[in-house]
Amino acid sequence: MSTDPEKPTEQESDVTRREFLGTAGAALVVAAAVPGVAVEGQTARPAGTPSRPRTQIRLTVNGAQRRLEVDDHWTLAEMLRDHLRLTGTKLGCERGECGACTVILDGKTVYSCSYLAVWADGKSVTTVEGLAKNGALDPLQQAFVVHDAPQCGFCTSGQLMSAKALLSANPAPTVAEVHAALAGNLCRCSNYSRIAEAVVAAGAAGATRRTSGGGQ
Amino acid sequence: MQDNPRRIATSSVSPMKAIGQPTPRIDAADRVSGRATYTRDVYLDGMLYAQVLRSPHPHARIRSIDLSRAKALPGVKAIVTHENCNYVWGAGSIAGGVQYNDDLKKITKQRRYAFNNPVRYVGEPVAAVAAVDRHVAEEAVRLITVDYEVLPFVLDQEEALKPDAPKLWPEGNISLTARNEAAPTVSKRGDVEQGFREADHVFEERYSTAMCHNAQMEPRSVVAHWEGDKLTVYTPTGGIANCHHDIARDLGIPDEKVRVICHYMGGNFGNKNQNQDTDLITAILAKEAGAPVKLEFSRKDDFIGMHGRWPTVQYYKVGVKNDGSLTAIQLRTVSNMGPYRKNNGGVAGIELYECPHTESTLFPMYTNRTTSANYRGPNDPQGYYPIQSLMDDVAYAVKMDPVDFILKNMVKDGPRTRFTNYTLDECIRKGAELFEWKKRWKPVAGSGDGPIKRGAGVAFMSFRSGVGNSSAVLTVDARGQYTLYVGVTDVGPGAKTTMNIIAADELGVPLSQVKVVWGDTDTCPYSVGESGSRTTIMTGEAVVTAARDLKKQIAEKGLPTGTGLLKASASPNPRVEGKTRNCFGAHFVEVEVDTELGGVRFLKYVAVHESGRIMNPLTATSQIKGGVGMGIGMALHEDLIYDRRTGIPLVTGYYFDRIPTHLDVPDVDVTFIEADDGYGPYGAKSVGESGMIQTPAVISNAIYNAIGKRIKDLPITRARILGALA
Amino acid sequence: MKTFANANARSVQDAARRARDARQTGQHASFAGGGTDLLQLVKERIVSPDLIVNLKTIPNLSQVTRSSKGVSIGGLATLDAISRDETIRRDYPVLAEAAASVATPQIRNVGTIGGNIAQRPWCWYYRNGFPCYKNGGNQCFSFAGENQFHAIFGGGPSYIVHPSDTAPALVALGATIRIAGPSGERAVPASEFFVLPRQNAAVENVLADDEVIASVDLPSPVAGTRSRYFKVTDRETWTHAVVSAAVVMQMEGETCRAAHVVLGGVAPIPWRLPNVEQMLADQPITEDLAARAAEAAVAGARPLSHNAYKIPMTKGVVRRTVLQVAGKT
Repeated sequence: MSTDPEKPTEQESDVTRREFLGTAGAALVVAAAVPGVAVEGQTARPAGTPSRPRTQIRLTVNGAQRRLEVDDHWTLAEMLRDHLRLTGTKLGCERGECGACTVILDGKTVYSCSYLAVWADGKSVTTVEGLAKNGALDPLQQAFVVHDAPQCGFCTSGQLMSAKALLSANPAPTVAEVHAALAGNLCRCSNYSRIAEAVVAAGAAGATRRTSGGGQ
Repeated sequence: MQDNPRRIATSSVSPMKAIGQPTPRIDAADRVSGRATYTRDVYLDGMLYAQVLRSPHPHARIRSIDLSRAKALPGVKAIVTHENCNYVWGAGSIAGGVQYNDDLKKITKQRRYAFNNPVRYVGEPVAAVAAVDRHVAEEAVRLITVDYEVLPFVLDQEEALKPDAPKLWPEGNISLTARNEAAPTVSKRGDVEQGFREADHVFEERYSTAMCHNAQMEPRSVVAHWEGDKLTVYTPTGGIANCHHDIARDLGIPDEKVRVICHYMGGNFGNKNQNQDTDLITAILAKEAGAPVKLEFSRKDDFIGMHGRWPTVQYYKVGVKNDGSLTAIQLRTVSNMGPYRKNNGGVAGIELYECPHTESTLFPMYTNRTTSANYRGPNDPQGYYPIQSLMDDVAYAVKMDPVDFILKNMVKDGPRTRFTNYTLDECIRKGAELFEWKKRWKPVAGSGDGPIKRGAGVAFMSFRSGVGNSSAVLTVDARGQYTLYVGVTDVGPGAKTTMNIIAADELGVPLSQVKVVWGDTDTCPYSVGESGSRTTIMTGEAVVTAARDLKKQIAEKGLPTGTGLLKASASPNPRVEGKTRNCFGAHFVEVEVDTELGGVRFLKYVAVHESGRIMNPLTATSQIKGGVGMGIGMALHEDLIYDRRTGIPLVTGYYFDRIPTHLDVPDVDVTFIEADDGYGPYGAKSVGESGMIQTPAVISNAIYNAIGKRIKDLPITRARILGALA
Repeated sequence: MKTFANANARSVQDAARRARDARQTGQHASFAGGGTDLLQLVKERIVSPDLIVNLKTIPNLSQVTRSSKGVSIGGLATLDAISRDETIRRDYPVLAEAAASVATPQIRNVGTIGGNIAQRPWCWYYRNGFPCYKNGGNQCFSFAGENQFHAIFGGGPSYIVHPSDTAPALVALGATIRIAGPSGERAVPASEFFVLPRQNAAVENVLADDEVIASVDLPSPVAGTRSRYFKVTDRETWTHAVVSAAVVMQMEGETCRAAHVVLGGVAPIPWRLPNVEQMLADQPITEDLAARAAEAAVAGARPLSHNAYKIPMTKGVVRRTVLQVAGKT
């Protein structure tokens, strides 16, 4: 529901206050860890910016619940990059044609350049910054390093997110399955066979880990 | 899938510690975690956002620009047009396609400004706006009213050559040389007429190649920021040092008043190796607004506002004897440079053959299309494709196996050309063996039953890297920790890691004991641009020289104490006297062509390369594989098509450009024959461009073998295949 | 991007009324299903909404519901869901295959069946903002221009090709489109949903500005029905069909009892081939019959200056798809 920020509806402001109190603690930790993030619930707008329709949304970003007020016409990518400074999500075309902006939204990959931030209300988004855990790279990221999957690196975040979604659904994919699942991610360095190698290796390593883990 | 390249070391190559080991990039963790900072990821306090207004006309004189409505829009902070920003953009300038410099600046007649009047192509910048956010900037651009006097235009380079063609410049449509001469460039050896008289067969063909966009994944963006009279520019460039000097020269300020930073860059491929008009425009906007400004290109801006590969029309005449030996090659090339000449417009290929009589005439033509310039192997794939296709036809005509024809006629190490080492024959023979050429190639092109036909092709490469020289600075502290300062960015091929490997081996320490500092002209010495496949050779040589100097200092003085540092600087000038230093390669491909649907599928692709000693087989292999992928796009899909009636480009993004996807590029079986010719750092030669340049040629030859029809225009689309078979 | 407000719809009628109300106050409203393509058109200023009505918030609009009459696919069902749905894969493989062939995984994850059949053309003149019929102008630039991807059937005065992959499948399956407006619903056979340019060159279908696709209903398949979608693209993914075919045949042994053959990529609407359907009916499917059907398929084709290659390609597509459906390859 689009609202004028000056005049939130009754129903929404109630929800806002209640949910905000419940999640502020977790959100503040994230805010502190990401320099440049605006005060929670109020994303930055430079002085002199004209008034535009805005909406309060709830969004889980890389596991942390956030409450954000966004311009209705902001794309998800714009909100993540400009306002949460999660700049690992890249913009290569802003037209849903290259895949550099791919994020995982409620388990499915989407082009964050082609999805409005307001539409993500109530959902959970994972960006490339959410792959590493406790400072350690995800095995998929490790495989990208070892197999030289990034050349210039600009498409890499998007390739990783598509690969992550693939491995969640199909933990040990074949080369052909990787190419099909990542078909929406362009790489102008044309390093496609390296990327596929890395994903297949991550899948195979995961299968080995699961097997050996089960035996212990 | 082949995990590592096959490597065949010649006797001259002795093993080393880090050099030659597959080494993951030293910054790979940053590239896979989102931490790598590309230009658009730079946010400064109080930063404004800029957008560019572009010409909707292919050729028009600007009578007036009304900025009043844009200026009245709240949040607009600065607007620049040709009226208040009349800087010459040197790197985009004319100068006959040679490097623009202070001497040329004095004499060049045809200057390219950051904003030009008249405008000469659809997409040429007319104005730029800085505002509080990108949406306001976008609105403001729409509120600028421009009164144009529309002028006649010409898109096609052969049309532009006609006497009655609309003129882009008062001097005419043939691009002026650096000495302001309007004449085609002619290079000849022997006497082609004599050669044709001696021939038993003469072949004449017309080929054309399309304009392709570099289409690197990162759209151009710039952040400019003034602190007093010091300008800092964050910009995607494969050559921070050249970009830095270009900006200072064009703005007329001392070099030391400019700092260029590029830590990561989303692909180069030749169109980001100098400064750009965007650097100048953003710097001026930042100055006018008194605040940092970020200019962001859309993908469409990038397609129409940045250069791509020059399209060509090439007329060949080739004389050959019954025994398959060449007697003469004559070539007339008409290249489409767009309205400004940013590079030479030439085509490579004739030099690949031993032939007593050759003549090449080049017409670099101005047209009202987006400017053409460097793109991975600037002169090469669009020259290799026609001549190697034509020579393939000649081989069939004289009833020779194309591999034998190449081995007979290819350039040799001999009196005409002395190479520092020569392995072209070995590359071709090894490739033929690995590919099983005799098994896959059909002596009768187009033979076989059924609608789906197989065919095999061969093409070869002999490529010389760009020249230049680089510097390096190396320090060591009391703990024995080394710091290497190099002016590279690593636009994808892995330069930072290569420099780290070279330094570590020369110093005899582990990689981790050398910290690499890169990408900032305030801290890094001069390095050639990451273009021309020369960074490993030039900057690598500087690293070796600096390391040797530092080792000598340590031997003499011992390690420093306390906070002291020992420091070595090197600016070697590596030259190869009297010889040519080339890398060599041969590609073989088997395709399946669907004669009903016109599609091409790859069954096997073998690439054998000799690039001297391979510094890092991991990244070098990626270069070859990726180069082939780009070459496939050029061979089969990419073509920046214009609407002929309006002069407006229609291919303005990835969807219409059809660049290859995960499903379009086969895995490539890569072999490196390794050699050490005694030059360069440990015998390393060039790699970066060499993977792409023979790919359109080899695909063309395989398609011919499959269907028995020669496609003489790139790209070889389904439409062209079906058209040829109709 | 242009400024606009987003409104989350609660029902299809709510969505339709919001669009109508916006229009009555002089505003332009657009519906967003997946919204991917809408946002591209907004960014290019080809569409300039003041209000975007978000359909994703409508409960149950993405369900696939089975009944004795067949299957009803909610207008918001994603292409990804359709391509994976077990019933659709079993009973209507032509639709599952068509949905799976659209664009890329990311687009199929958000792109909806309603949005796919109602999508605007991918003609490069339209997408680059030329003032053509589709952009409110009064000419088609492709006719005398760059028409390599344009229509060989049914063109004039506009020569776009309909971009949807699922649309030919739906026409071939005899689907019905249920459309919700501000004051109720109507049902339109898929074969009557699409509009030739000679009827109205500005639009591609019968949807009014304040109407939403509520569902796509498929009749239960007759026993022996087999189907396939065959798509030719120039690069392997993320392009629309250069030529495609949706073929549905009711087979009895080797014999085809009834056939529906609909082409994509060749006409401004999904292009049905009644002459081919008649030729195949009650005939054993042989190589020879498939070849004759392929010839008949292009009988009325009128190529433009740069797209004659679509004629042999169409023949190849029809020949192969008919043989594949009959299990002959």
